[in-house]
Amino acid sequence: MAKVVVLGAGVSGHTAALVLRRKLGKEHEVVVVSPNRRWNWIPSNIWVGVGLMDKKDVTFELAPVYERAGVDFRQAKALELHPEGTADSATPRVTIEYTSEARRGEREEVPYDYLVNATGPKLNFAATPGLGPDGNSLSVCTFDHAEKTADALRAAIERMKAGEQLTFVVGMGHGSCTCEGAAFEYVFNLEFEIRNAGVRDNARIVFLTNEAELGDFGVDGLQIKRGGYVVPSSTFAESLFVERGVEWIVGAHVSRVDENEVHYETLDGEVHSLRFDFAMLLPPFTGVGLRATDRAGQDITSTLFAPNAFMRVDADYTQKPYEQYKPEDWPKTYQSPLYRNVFAVGIAFAPPHALSKPRKTKNGTVIAPAPPRTGMPSGIMGRTVALSIADMIRRGADKPTHSAPMGEMGAACVASAGVGFRRGSAVSMTMYPVVPDYERYPGVGRDLRHTVGEIGSAGHWIKRILHTMFLYKAKAKPGWWMIPE
Amino acid sequence: MSTSIEQSRHAMKPTPWVLFWRSFLPYQLYRFVLINLRMFVMIWKSH
Repeated sequence: MAKVVVLGAGVSGHTAALVLRRKLGKEHEVVVVSPNRRWNWIPSNIWVGVGLMDKKDVTFELAPVYERAGVDFRQAKALELHPEGTADSATPRVTIEYTSEARRGEREEVPYDYLVNATGPKLNFAATPGLGPDGNSLSVCTFDHAEKTADALRAAIERMKAGEQLTFVVGMGHGSCTCEGAAFEYVFNLEFEIRNAGVRDNARIVFLTNEAELGDFGVDGLQIKRGGYVVPSSTFAESLFVERGVEWIVGAHVSRVDENEVHYETLDGEVHSLRFDFAMLLPPFTGVGLRATDRAGQDITSTLFAPNAFMRVDADYTQKPYEQYKPEDWPKTYQSPLYRNVFAVGIAFAPPHALSKPRKTKNGTVIAPAPPRTGMPSGIMGRTVALSIADMIRRGADKPTHSAPMGEMGAACVASAGVGFRRGSAVSMTMYPVVPDYERYPGVGRDLRHTVGEIGSAGHWIKRILHTMFLYKAKAKPGWWMIPE
Repeated sequence: MSTSIEQSRHAMKPTPWVLFWRSFLPYQLYRFVLINLRMFVMIWKSH
């Protein structure tokens, strides 16, 4: 009998847990440790953030789903890994602390044979003074944040209906942020809802981003074949911003958010400030801050984890110039190089390098969009690791049997730009591979046959269907496993 | 509700014809099928 512990129940952790449960016999245990009792389909939080959905539309209780699936769920947060065990026992274990009402604060040692670290990010609002819902800006990173943001938007619309002119700032709250696509979606949904409310003329909307160009999305942008030309995604992105009357500021590092004023530095080294009435600014991510000790109790956190607290896996972390980075640097199996029974997936693994070129201002400020590891790639990683672990347990494989390198993985992404069967629209994009490969695809980095993008009503229909489909899958309803990540 | 003139001047802008196709139902139904097929290819290549 083997025991697999999955830390985190986001897209990658939840996928890993369900696949493991399906592949392993009942004699094996699958344990999920997550501080949240509800599962959240985060891509739809943007619709919560404009008031079109509420919490119950994008979340569900995890405990009944795991009970039905035969997964042991502990509502707790992981604190410390002991991959070699402790002085008393050589069995690897993880220290957890319960967050449920009934057992809040109680600690427990959970032994494991295999560990999947899918803890996701820590929302590092503290990186920028004044950033976040506890400071002077809003967020859509969690459903609670998104509901608060929707309330603020409703209030702002009422003020505009009373004749006030307001400034809305949407974007990234730090130079090292990732998930620019989420801010992109939010700004166009916000614009759409303000237009629907009949007060568009009273709103100035500004997109403030760390991307050097619009449409970069932290993946170095896309090149798309259109009208006999290969066109950069920045051209299409700028076109949409102009069409919707949204101003943009690129290459920006937000240094401070005061009440109604954001301060930022741009790539040219100039320092600016912008007054706002409503600001939705996403935070940068770090790892959740797990500690690790060896059998003697010595701290080995810095060997297991990168300085940004994400877990090191089978990637090449050698520091070299941006131009020398290769797709092969990226991990294949997501196995820790130190412990064969430890894996990290989704946002929890440490990326070897940025995909978008990191830049520095003349003042030395680094502005470097971090690579996204969410959505489809995140789910694929969860499944891949689950299949490898299942083979290691059932067939005694001595190394992972499945791989999912991001240099050979594609991604499909649908970015909402407004809701409604006829009036709604979304940008549908596919890219292959996620990590650009300039040797295989000279000049463009990606396969132009599979790297495409377009905007239209069809994209919105797909986005809406994906919402329903992925919630169905996450609830482990009949046939869930037939729905791909 | 306009972007700054400088930003607008350098950007590609959609014509009414392009905007029409983006929400023209028969064409979008066709695109719906095509985009889904593309996504399935992407999923197949990535798994």
